[in-house]
Amino acid sequence: MGRTGRGRAAAARAGAGTGGGADVPAADAPQLRVVSGEFYPDWEAVYRDNVDRVYRLMFAKVGNRPDAEDLTAEVFLAALRPLRVSASAAEVRAYLFATARTVLAGHWRRTLGREITRLTDDDELELVPADDAVSSAAVGSSAAVGRAAAILAELPELYRRILELRFLDSCSVREAAAALGVSVAYAKVLQHRALRRAAQLLEVNR
Amino acid sequence: MSARGVRRFVADLLAGRRPRSFRADDTDVGPLRAAITLRAARPGSTAPGDEFVTDLHRRLAAAQTDQDVQPLPLPRPVVDGTRRRLVAATSIAAAAAAVGAVADHALTSRSPAPSRPGGQQTLLPNTGEWRTVSTSADLAEGGVRGFDLGTVVGFVARTGGALRAVSGVCTHLGCRLALNAPARRLDCPCHTTSFALNGELLRYQLAVPPPALPQLEVRETQGVVQVYAPPGPVV
Repeated sequence: MGRTGRGRAAAARAGAGTGGGADVPAADAPQLRVVSGEFYPDWEAVYRDNVDRVYRLMFAKVGNRPDAEDLTAEVFLAALRPLRVSASAAEVRAYLFATARTVLAGHWRRTLGREITRLTDDDELELVPADDAVSSAAVGSSAAVGRAAAILAELPELYRRILELRFLDSCSVREAAAALGVSVAYAKVLQHRALRRAAQLLEVNR
Repeated sequence: MSARGVRRFVADLLAGRRPRSFRADDTDVGPLRAAITLRAARPGSTAPGDEFVTDLHRRLAAAQTDQDVQPLPLPRPVVDGTRRRLVAATSIAAAAAAVGAVADHALTSRSPAPSRPGGQQTLLPNTGEWRTVSTSADLAEGGVRGFDLGTVVGFVARTGGALRAVSGVCTHLGCRLALNAPARRLDCPCHTTSFALNGELLRYQLAVPPPALPQLEVRETQGVVQVYAPPGPVV
C-alpha cells in the first residue's frame, strides 16, 4: 500500500493550514458559548482527555489498529491546530466529533469508494456524554460488543459459531474448521455466507 | 461483487493488518460492515497503545509551535435537538456569567485556567429567604460551620472578621464536600478535589479543573448568621 501514518498526517496538517482538505465544520455560529462549566486549560488537556475516546470510536468503525491510529492522528492534527478561544469541554468534544465524522468519511472515500461505516448521533452521545461519569473505556467498545452480540444471537448455530471463532476468539480458519468438525474449504464458505447473513441482519437492525 | 476484495479485506482485518484498498461496490458494503462490527467487538482490542498516544502527542506539540492564530470554528448551532443538547441547555444561564470573562482565554495558552476571574458565581435563587445557619456565638473568628437547609448545603466561615458562605457540593460531579478542619479546606470524597473556604479551587487530579464553588449571600443579624437560600426543604 505504501500508505504510512506519517505521510497521511503530513497531508492532514497541510490541509488544516489552508482550510482545505481537512474539511472541518464552518464557523457559522461564533456567538455560541453554551454549556458545561468545564473548560480545558490547553490543547494538551484536550488531547489527554479525548485521545482514548476518539481512538475507540475510530476502532469501532474500521476494526483495525493501523487505520484507527492514522485516523485518530488525522482528527487531532486537523482539529487542534485551529483550536483556540474559550470553548467548553462539551463544545470541544462536539468539534472533535464533527472532525472525526469528516475524517472517517474521507477514509472510506479514499480506500474503498463506498461509505462502509459512519459516525452517528448515537456515537456522538458516547463521545460527548452529558455526564463525565461515562468513562472513556465505555466509548465505542461497549456499543460494538452490544451490536455484535445482537447479530450473533440471531444467526443460525453454525454461522454464529464460525463468526465467533474467527472474529471474537482469534482462531485461524484451520482452527475454526477443526473446532466445527468441517473441512477448511467449507469453513471458508461458511464464513463467507455467515457474513452475508450478518450483513442482512445489520441492515434490518439499522 | 468484488468477492476477492472482500475476502482480502476480511483476512487483513482478522490478522490485525491494515486492510488493502479495492473498489468496493454496493453489495460489498454489508459484509464489510458486518466484519468490522464483529472484529471491533473482540475482547481487549479497543484501547490505543501507549506508544501511539505518546508519539501523537509529540507530533501535535511540534505542530503547535508554528501555529498561527485562528478562531475556533465552532460546530454547527447547538439547537438541533439531541437529548444531550437539551440537557446542556439548562445550564446556559449558569454558564453565561462565566463565559464573558473567559472569552479571550486561548486554549493553546499555557497560563493556568483554574482561577478564572469572575468565574466564581453567587447563588441567587428566584425565590429565597434569609435562613439561619448558625448563632453568632458559635461562629467565632476563624470558625467554620457546615449547614444543610434541605434545598442547599454549604459551609459558612468567619475569616478576618468577614463572613463567607459557599456551596458544599463539588462542582465536578456533585459529591458532597467534607470539612477538613485542620487544613481549613473542603475535600471532595470522590476525586481528590479540594476547595478553599472561600470557594477557590485548591487542588484537583482531573484533566479539567472544576470551577470554583458558588457563593451564597450571607448576613449577620440579631445574634445569628443567615444565608439567602430557597425556602424548603423540598420533600
